Amino acid sequence: MTTNDQLEIIAHTRAEVMGSKELTGENLFLAWGYPTAIIMLLEFAALMWWNEDWCAWLWAGIPLIGTPLMIYFLNEDYERTRRRTLNQNVILMMWVFIGFTCCLGGFAMGIAGVYHQCLFPLISLMCGMGCFMTGIILHFRPKTVCGIISSMLSAVPLFFQGDLWPWQLLATAVIVTIALIIPGHLFRRHIRQNMN
Amino acid sequence: MSEFKFPVINPLLHSELRLKIMVALDSLESADFMYLCRLTDSTRGNVSIQIATLKEAGYIEVSKMGLGRLSHTVCHITRKGHDALSAYEENLRRLFQCEVPNSAEKVC
Repeated sequence: MTTNDQLEIIAHTRAEVMGSKELTGENLFLAWGYPTAIIMLLEFAALMWWNEDWCAWLWAGIPLIGTPLMIYFLNEDYERTRRRTLNQNVILMMWVFIGFTCCLGGFAMGIAGVYHQCLFPLISLMCGMGCFMTGIILHFRPKTVCGIISSMLSAVPLFFQGDLWPWQLLATAVIVTIALIIPGHLFRRHIRQNMN
Repeated sequence: MSEFKFPVINPLLHSELRLKIMVALDSLESADFMYLCRLTDSTRGNVSIQIATLKEAGYIEVSKMGLGRLSHTVCHITRKGHDALSAYEENLRRLFQCEVPNSAEKVC
């Protein structure tokens, strides 16, 4: 083999690996988006109906449903592609960090008694930031745009205080729809189109 | 007249299959054994031997994930492997410039 052949092997292999590497993770946004939005709506309905303290802890169902779904879809992706890129690792670690921050924040605020004021703006902001950064890393503009919009909207729940605080849940469900569900579906369609 | 030294080509990376494996691992965070077989279009036995050679040279790290029948082999490139591949590519380019008649005077 000549040096030219070797250089061609390097260029060809690199192009082959890089060409198809980001066509994964199409279900992860939806795996977190739908449980979050649905539980927010359920919690809102429960608070409106019963208005008892236990209703406020329904948010803990989000990680209980989202985590197994995430693990399932991550395994499915890995079975399909059999490799992991640096971008995938960075995005996964970022979302794990966001998830932990939201959960720890939820418990800490619940114990400190400021749950009604701060938790939902925090969840909204974290989801928006995560969506924005994922869009930047993947060069997928709809996620970047949805991330910016939802980050800006994350201040909205702050305006519902006192007796109006359950309305924070409704606002958060809308923000999560913008941050996770809409870009999730757009990304899924983008990947399906690129795979065919 | 100054003496020209030809760049030394790493014999370990000069095999087509090993080179493909190294380039793939250099572009990825990690890759499964089956992915490498598919990418290189080679048999499991062949890829397994090349992986063992690269591991012995300290160019890649191999870890087993999962348990029992579901376990799979995952490979990562090491810093030493990344440096060796970069040096190999650089030397190939220098050598290629020597082979091209018009640029021969400039480099050699």
